Amino acid sequence: MFSGKPNHERCVWALFLFGLIGVPSLYFSSTISIDTVNMLGRYLAFAIAAIGLDLIWGYCGVLSLCQALFFALGGYAMGMYLAHHGGPPGSVDVNGWKIPGCLFVVYPAGVGETEAQWTVPWFWKPFYSLTATLALGMLLPGLVAAFIGYFGFRSRVRGVYFAILTQAITVAAWLVFCKNDMKLCGTNGLTNFDTVAGYSLTDPGVKFSLYMLTLACLIAVFCLCRFLVDTRLGRVLVAVRDDETNLRFFGYKPYMFKVFVFALAAALGGLGGMLYTPQMGIITPEYMTAKWSILFVIWVAVGGRGTLSGAVIGALGVNLVYNFLTTRAPEAWPFVQGLLFVGVVLLFPKGIAGLLDLIRFKRLAKRTAEA
Amino acid sequence: MAVVIGWTFSQPVAAADSSTDTSSDTALLEQMAKLSSDDAAARKQVLFDLAKSGDSRLEAFLENYRTGSVYLWNGQIVVSTETEEDEDFNELAPLTHPLTGEPVLGADGKQAKPDILDLEDMSPDRAGRLAARNALFLLKLSSPNAESRLVAVKKSGTPPFNTEALPFLTDMAENDPDKKIRLTARESLLLIRLGTDVPLGQAQERWAAAGQLAGMKSLRALPVLEEMLRDEGFVKHGQAAREQCEKAVASINSHQSFVNWVGYVFQGLSLGSILIIMALGLAITFGLMGVINMAHGELMMVGAFTTYVVQQLFVNYLPQGMFNWYYVAALPSAFLAAAFVGWLLELAVIRHLYRRPLESLLATWGVSILLIQTARLIFGDNIGVNSPTWLRGNVEVVQDVILPFNRLFIIALCALCVAMIYTLINRTKLGLRMRATMQNRDMADSLGVNTRRIDSYTFAFGSGLAGLAGYALTLIGGVTPDMGQNYIVESFLVVVTGGVGELLGVICSGLGLGVATKVIEPMQFGDFTVEAIWAKVFVLACVVAFIQFKPAGLFPPKGRLADV
Repeated sequence: MFSGKPNHERCVWALFLFGLIGVPSLYFSSTISIDTVNMLGRYLAFAIAAIGLDLIWGYCGVLSLCQALFFALGGYAMGMYLAHHGGPPGSVDVNGWKIPGCLFVVYPAGVGETEAQWTVPWFWKPFYSLTATLALGMLLPGLVAAFIGYFGFRSRVRGVYFAILTQAITVAAWLVFCKNDMKLCGTNGLTNFDTVAGYSLTDPGVKFSLYMLTLACLIAVFCLCRFLVDTRLGRVLVAVRDDETNLRFFGYKPYMFKVFVFALAAALGGLGGMLYTPQMGIITPEYMTAKWSILFVIWVAVGGRGTLSGAVIGALGVNLVYNFLTTRAPEAWPFVQGLLFVGVVLLFPKGIAGLLDLIRFKRLAKRTAEA
Repeated sequence: MAVVIGWTFSQPVAAADSSTDTSSDTALLEQMAKLSSDDAAARKQVLFDLAKSGDSRLEAFLENYRTGSVYLWNGQIVVSTETEEDEDFNELAPLTHPLTGEPVLGADGKQAKPDILDLEDMSPDRAGRLAARNALFLLKLSSPNAESRLVAVKKSGTPPFNTEALPFLTDMAENDPDKKIRLTARESLLLIRLGTDVPLGQAQERWAAAGQLAGMKSLRALPVLEEMLRDEGFVKHGQAAREQCEKAVASINSHQSFVNWVGYVFQGLSLGSILIIMALGLAITFGLMGVINMAHGELMMVGAFTTYVVQQLFVNYLPQGMFNWYYVAALPSAFLAAAFVGWLLELAVIRHLYRRPLESLLATWGVSILLIQTARLIFGDNIGVNSPTWLRGNVEVVQDVILPFNRLFIIALCALCVAMIYTLINRTKLGLRMRATMQNRDMADSLGVNTRRIDSYTFAFGSGLAGLAGYALTLIGGVTPDMGQNYIVESFLVVVTGGVGELLGVICSGLGLGVATKVIEPMQFGDFTVEAIWAKVFVLACVVAFIQFKPAGLFPPKGRLADV
């Protein structure tokens, strides 16, 4: 099955298999606790968003610094759904809507507003239903990305400029989400989650199911993107990355492809965010800061851009190292992180995936030499 | 030398002090003793006379008198604020001198502590306490210290009015040596006239005061007048009075909006100059060299921390009087320290990434994390940089337009940096080589320019400018290891908006963004006030939209360079 595939992809499939079989058996034999499974589930959610970024950055050559924004948008969509169905009962507004517990930090919104006047804002209402939430959680980031992309790519904003433009948009969104009068719970973020689709979030069984769901989504997304980049579309994307001007002279409209991929990447980011929030139990504007948008890029870079597998390996690897170090030597982590980024860029521009392939090539070379 | 100067200066002052001490102190004490008289009117007169002396030592005395801590002891006036009890439960009162506050000595040479019953109580009645408070106020009006005089003069213009202050104010409006106090005294007088109700027929002067206040562009009169006009009982004063007041309000309002606008524009200039000073270094490293240096903010941090280190060196190793000089010494230090770190950074990391700009973003982000953590481990999370005293005040350029020195300093520093960069790049041989290298590396190389060395100089220079930005930022913001993170996105925006590689572009976009933010901030649309955050979001949105139309910034590169 894997004979014709590069090493890094075999590695990812090994990871997936381990996630499907190894982690459950470890969990059910009580070797690892449910918290570890939960943590792995969160990192898998990061990996989904990272695959999206790899699609736009690795294949299309567009460095987007707003993957964190899309991730957070998906997270907020799911967060609103969870907040609707959690928190203390009994606080009901005049229209019969239960006011989510975390919304109380932003009330009173005006001077002299009484509790009777507090209402659930209109943009909270669609997220009451799970189906609508799931659809909007991917649609909203996709639409935002399509909007940014359409105007940005059509006027040929490129390279560094696009990166800074997306960073500026992320900062603006962060400022807006931090404001209390936006009724998105300000810097506190969305909290007080209890149940998802009727199941309690504190139940280990539910946590485990969420992990399995995330893994399933990740595998599906990986296969979908692998399929996508192997089609003719994928070839056009690589052409966009390598020589956009040339492609334009061939009669293509590169910006249409870019917009499509950018929106798809955003939707994947939203999906990752939606899976992340119930496992984390909170979503705050913190995820929209410059730090996070660059973190996503870092994962892809460390894993190896333009391979899809690299995004998965990078997101899981960096986060596991982070988790390992912050529990043992918290003050050392920034040094490791900093050196990791510098080292990867300087010494292994192709990331871990490139290293894995190198091993294979060496072996191949050996074999050919013997023969 | 310093001792001699100190001696010559202090000599006449001391002489004057001692002469007044002996003669006027006894006179004052005699007057104060009269406070024990039975005649209420006489007591009031004494207080009034005491206030006129303007002796600041009397402030404490009047306060003590008001609270009933002043006593007569053997015909001598004394103060005793707290009593103590001996073993026999006698209440003893330790005495202090009413003027100097020093202990009054008894026959044994120790502080006199007579029984409280032996003292003659001089506690004032209610009217007396009121009179004492008035006297205290008048005393401040005649204080030799201009600062406290100004405060008192200002206060006298707000109700409840102190009618006894009127002759003082009239006198001060004419004769006070300080111009500002003369004006304020006149303003207060007019405010009192405006605010005092008079019988209907004699209101001519009262409403004329409104006009005079308008003539003085008195901002203090604005709320008073608006309050009066809002009052429904104002109808009884007639149409003419209303017209006069409304005219005054309109006239003061226009002055107010002028002052506000100057304020906004100045704040905008100040913010703009901060943006420029942050972006100048980037304009060199990013604009000229094409390196996305995410550690630029951390180079600012290096500059700020160098300023802190220089300050600590001055505090610990040099005499107190030298403290203010630390800020001068920190200027070159901050530049050199940041330039050195930048030079190392170029040598170790950036040199290998010139052909891969997007990857330089990642590597320098890693460097920025390293720098932040290093600073955190060495210095901790919060350190204080104190501005030198000569940057703490402010200056009033036009009436009511007050500009703080530290902001002016940043604007000046910004102008200095711009001039320095312009000269270096356009007027020196090094600048020529820099431009040649950045425009066409291979050609410059073949013409004998050591491009490696030029790269390293250019990057170090840009980093040094970042250090200067950090040095300037210590005046207005906190100094923390991660302070650079707050500024990095904005700095890049300024450079991108301005157009890469153009100094003029950076200046235009920096000032433009700064002024736009500050001018939008106070705007109102119906119930909606824009505020700081929305202004920032709006400006960001404008920049994003602007990049759509001009993807290469305000001043795009022309010709064959344009497509590189």
